[in-house]
Amino acid sequence: MSANSVPVTYAAPPTFLSSDHWKQFQAAFLAQLPLQNIHWKSASRPSIRTIQQLNIKLVPIDSVRDEQTTQIPLTVIERPLLNLYIVVCEDNEAYKNVVRKQIKDWHSSVIQRKGQEWLILYMDRPDTKATAPSFFQVKASVLDKIKADFNVDKRDRCVQIAWSPTFDNPATWVDVITKVKEGLLSAFDASVTQREDEVKRSENQRQMPGWNFCTFFILKESLASSFEGVGLYEDALLQYDELEASFYQVLREKNLSWFGTLISPGPNDDSLPLLSTTKKPYRDLILANTISVFDFRVYLVARQCTLLGRVGKVVEVGRKTIAFLSAFGKRLLEAKETIPLGFVESWIYSSALSVVEQCDHWASELQLEESSVAAFDAIKGELLELARHQLDTLGVQLRYLPLKSPFSTSSFLLPEELSQLVDASDYSVTQPDLLSSLKDKEAFFDLYIKLTNRAIERYAKARRRKFALKLHGSLAALDVHRGRLPTALQTFTSLPAHYAPHEWTSLESLALFEAMATHSRLERAKDTEWIHILLAFLKSYVNSAENELLIQAEDKASYIQTLVDALRYAADELGADLLHTDDDMLTVQIYDKNVETAGTQDGSYLDVVVTNHLPCDMPADEVIVILTGPETEKLRYSAKIDTLMPGNTTLKLFCAMPSSGTHVLDSTEIRIRKLILQQQCRRNSGPTQNARLLKDLPVLVHVPKDLRALSVSARQPDSIELGQPPQLLVSLLTGRNLLSSAKLKLSSSSGAQFDCKSAILHGRDTSTFELQEHSITLKDVDKDAVISFLVPYTEAPAFQALTVIMDVEYTTSSEPDLRRVLRTARLVPTSLPVAVNVQDFFRGSKLFSQFTVSTTSHQFVRIRSAELSVIGDNPDGVEIEGCAGARDSIITVTPVQPGNFLFRLISKHGSVRDPLRLTITYRMLRDEVEVLVKHAIDHMATESQVKPTDVPFLVNAVLSVLEADSSWIEPYVVTDILRVPEIDIPDKLTSRLPMALQEKCREVLEYGWREICIPVDVPRMNIIAAARIRIPSDPFGQAGSQPSKRVPLYAGQPIPAELTITTSFHWGGGNETKDKAYRMRFDVEELIKEWLVGGRKRGEFLAKDGATYTMAITLIALHHGELPLPKVAVTPLPLAGEYAMGSLALPSTETYQMHGAEKILVLPRGGRSTFILDMGTDTAS
Amino acid sequence: MPPQLRLNAVAFISPQNHPILIRPFSQSKDEQLKYHYLAHTSLDVFEERVNSGTKATESYLGLLFSMENAAVYGYITPLKMKIVLALALSDVVVRDADITTIFRALHMAYYHSVANPFLKLHTALDTSGDHSALMLAGSPKWESFRRRVDEIGRAAGAQV
Repeated sequence: MSANSVPVTYAAPPTFLSSDHWKQFQAAFLAQLPLQNIHWKSASRPSIRTIQQLNIKLVPIDSVRDEQTTQIPLTVIERPLLNLYIVVCEDNEAYKNVVRKQIKDWHSSVIQRKGQEWLILYMDRPDTKATAPSFFQVKASVLDKIKADFNVDKRDRCVQIAWSPTFDNPATWVDVITKVKEGLLSAFDASVTQREDEVKRSENQRQMPGWNFCTFFILKESLASSFEGVGLYEDALLQYDELEASFYQVLREKNLSWFGTLISPGPNDDSLPLLSTTKKPYRDLILANTISVFDFRVYLVARQCTLLGRVGKVVEVGRKTIAFLSAFGKRLLEAKETIPLGFVESWIYSSALSVVEQCDHWASELQLEESSVAAFDAIKGELLELARHQLDTLGVQLRYLPLKSPFSTSSFLLPEELSQLVDASDYSVTQPDLLSSLKDKEAFFDLYIKLTNRAIERYAKARRRKFALKLHGSLAALDVHRGRLPTALQTFTSLPAHYAPHEWTSLESLALFEAMATHSRLERAKDTEWIHILLAFLKSYVNSAENELLIQAEDKASYIQTLVDALRYAADELGADLLHTDDDMLTVQIYDKNVETAGTQDGSYLDVVVTNHLPCDMPADEVIVILTGPETEKLRYSAKIDTLMPGNTTLKLFCAMPSSGTHVLDSTEIRIRKLILQQQCRRNSGPTQNARLLKDLPVLVHVPKDLRALSVSARQPDSIELGQPPQLLVSLLTGRNLLSSAKLKLSSSSGAQFDCKSAILHGRDTSTFELQEHSITLKDVDKDAVISFLVPYTEAPAFQALTVIMDVEYTTSSEPDLRRVLRTARLVPTSLPVAVNVQDFFRGSKLFSQFTVSTTSHQFVRIRSAELSVIGDNPDGVEIEGCAGARDSIITVTPVQPGNFLFRLISKHGSVRDPLRLTITYRMLRDEVEVLVKHAIDHMATESQVKPTDVPFLVNAVLSVLEADSSWIEPYVVTDILRVPEIDIPDKLTSRLPMALQEKCREVLEYGWREICIPVDVPRMNIIAAARIRIPSDPFGQAGSQPSKRVPLYAGQPIPAELTITTSFHWGGGNETKDKAYRMRFDVEELIKEWLVGGRKRGEFLAKDGATYTMAITLIALHHGELPLPKVAVTPLPLAGEYAMGSLALPSTETYQMHGAEKILVLPRGGRSTFILDMGTDTAS
Repeated sequence: MPPQLRLNAVAFISPQNHPILIRPFSQSKDEQLKYHYLAHTSLDVFEERVNSGTKATESYLGLLFSMENAAVYGYITPLKMKIVLALALSDVVVRDADITTIFRALHMAYYHSVANPFLKLHTALDTSGDHSALMLAGSPKWESFRRRVDEIGRAAGAQV
């Protein structure tokens, strides 16, 4: 078929045809071809179709035989669509006489033809124009005349073309080409419309007798071919799709009388290329109504695919052929009596391969996009896989392949047909590859593997991983069948990893199952790898429901049992412990989050539930639960077991460690010989990431405090001396344990270093101990003993608190084999509970120091005494005297009320070089009460009112009540009587306890006190100045006279006064300075509301040790009342030279006002006032 | 009367490609395995179709592929849950409308089953975006979903 070429006839006067001009014209006209972009607007179609390119075949009009000679409908473009007549005539006369008739003859013959158009081409010759320009009018009238003569309807079918040397210039052809296109389109449109009407008419008659599907098909196909001929492939395809639809309708009506048999297999039918439309004379067969359904459908698909291939839709081709091959292949098998054995398989096989080839051929001419390349690869993969499945069927029939999955499931044959044994010679197969491979088993396998690998390769390129995986699985199955076990094992062990991430347990377990089966057939040692496979299999087994597992074992429970047994032996054989994490078949859950203490020994019990998800007993040796606490503290609970029954088993796990507090479940382990199944329970999620699921939240376990267990505590020692290296008091309480040995180690996470070597035993205990560099070892310690050590330490940065981690490893004499480890972390506050401030007052040779003690926390501090003493042998002979009153009673310092302590120092030799020491004896109110309660209850125990073992519980109970209520504090501070609020203790004690507490209050006062020693430096003061303003008792009298009565002073009266300044260098330190003198300045304070000061208010004087400078001033009181005297400020002057005190710095000076407490009574000024009162007039006189 | 379809298997797959329920209507283990494979491989095609760039306004994806004596159809819900149907191959025109009807019914079955508040009994409250609870719908513990699917399967010609 000459595609894309439409015949167009031409006619012209014979003279022109024989001239060179004609050849020139024809060449030029053909140079304009093919026609581009013809827009076809059809009335029956919604959108404009564009014919991209259309070629024209010019034929002389005589060559076309008129009218169709056959009944077979031809395509509409097989006959000319357009007739051209070329007129060359300059002369009006010639036209009238000769040419008009010629045109008329042609015209009359042409317009009779149906569905054809005509066009008259008038050639304008410029050479004649040049010779006779005056003829312009005439020439134009030739064209006009032609138009007038032949244009019968509105359409202008005449066109002019200028004859020029540049004849092949496209610009000169524009009009002509447009007209040609118009003519072609109009003719095409008319023909198509007519043909479509015919088709419609035929379709409507399909229910009438005598209608023939084949005739209808040929008619409709002619339309499709017409579209194809002009390049409208989409429209052509549409026709075929409609044909296919109507075929299916025919099929449904089961009216296949127009066809021959379903199939009449030709000799090579199974191996001919599917997409070839010329391999058989299909049209003739159709016309003869003898075509078989097989041939018909192959032809239909081939035509459709060819058209799809033309428009580049190779993916569609693949999709269509796969659907066709599978669906029709199945149909063919329904009539298997008429078809030779293996025909269908061979046909599908070779067709699929030929389609791949054909599509590749088409695709090589196209530039496929990235996405469609992948789709194309995918569809090729599917085609190849389809071909591969035919090999499966053949192989199973030949017994080259076993009758089981995955080989047996892809066949179209029924299982019983598939299971029939077939000999290779029974097949009538013509595909050469297939033919040779069917005879030879190895060749068959080669072909099988080659084809599968081709499909895998395509899938891999198309990124269809899961398809490829399936094929890999089938290859591994083939390897198993062929006995190539190592490769099969390799494949099967790598496959589960691909199925596991998406929890496709069914496929995962199958691959694992196959891997294990292969492994056992290989008779390899059941090593670590085998255990991993087995555990993965068991995991997927428990994860999938019983009936959903696809493995091929008859009795799953016994199968699992044998596996588990094998696992135990394999685990026994292991060289080293094997850790397997995250296991689902055995889960350990904490049953009760409150742990139970052991009671008779140190340690605690944890109740757990172990769930065995397997259907059989699981041999196991030990169940272990690990809890973590603060500071990497780990508790390991364990229990020895024998087997775990299916379902839940409740176990009590024991941990010998005497730790307490809240712990997090860290991990659980189940030990099976040397295999450890571990379950991590802590998710390593960052703190910002909220736990979204309940199962992600940490499991908290509370381990209660066992008061009778060994415990270790650390606190600040009772006596703290500032300035010395700090010490820590570490106490070990043995509780119920008779220790045979114990090793105490101290460490800190904050960088402090403990010097255990220099530890000092604190208290009177006589147990033997050894001091090492980092640890203290104790031997043979009795029950309920408290052993305390003072351990010095160096603290890297001075924090408020010190983290101490105390590790105690100990063995008791009752259980010498059990080594217990206690790891306790304590935060010991290193800051002092009290703060001390000092204020010094110098008075001549005496010094008064006031110490203010305040609490640094919110707690109350009880202070029994504060003493100031001299360190050493007191060479200066300092006398210190405290305030007498504070001695007896206890002072309670609260956050709002600090305590004050005042001391007087008398130094004989001036300044004191040795430091003093302030010792404060105190205790926290809380500690005091704790001691008191403990003491009282201990006492009750000695009087056998309470069992000794109950003592810790009772103390705890009372203290927790006191902690909860603060109402007892105020009365206790005032009265020293502790009234315990309502408390939950046995009845017989409720009455005794308060009494005991009151009794013991006094006794308790004597111990439990703590000491803090603070070194205090006595301050130095170079100059002490005592200023005094003295008003003599008789300021106005003569000197020397002593009046018996104090003279009254009045406001406004000038009063002579005496200002004396006594300077002392006593506290200046060193005798050598005492001889010196300093220039100093005094300044009387201006009290402008009370006093006017006369005389030298300000002046300088020379200060000497013990000297007194005297000066007279005058004071005038400004108002009456009791007035304090003005103050005097004395400051040293910054003078260099001999007066400087050895340095340029100003000497330190303190001034005190000796008259500071004096007040002068000033009376109002005396005077007389006369008041005259009007006594009234005598009205009677 | 359109020719009777024969439904061979149904698979529900979560947006994270985890299988929720794979229900082959066959007793043979080999056949069941085949449909597990088909459901698994169909994920590749789902991915292809979803990534092909065309705006996925339509849930029904049509025929995914025909392989191993089965025609596999796909459906993806607006929440990206995938439903796969495997029909027995036959040489008749399968109308998309019929398939879509089955898919709608299956989708509704899933929807009704997931609406069961007890599914989320053991999960935290703020897990609206979490599908693990929805995965439970297909677990053997919850019978109703299977029953609904089987009913639809029977209606669509499966031999349950």
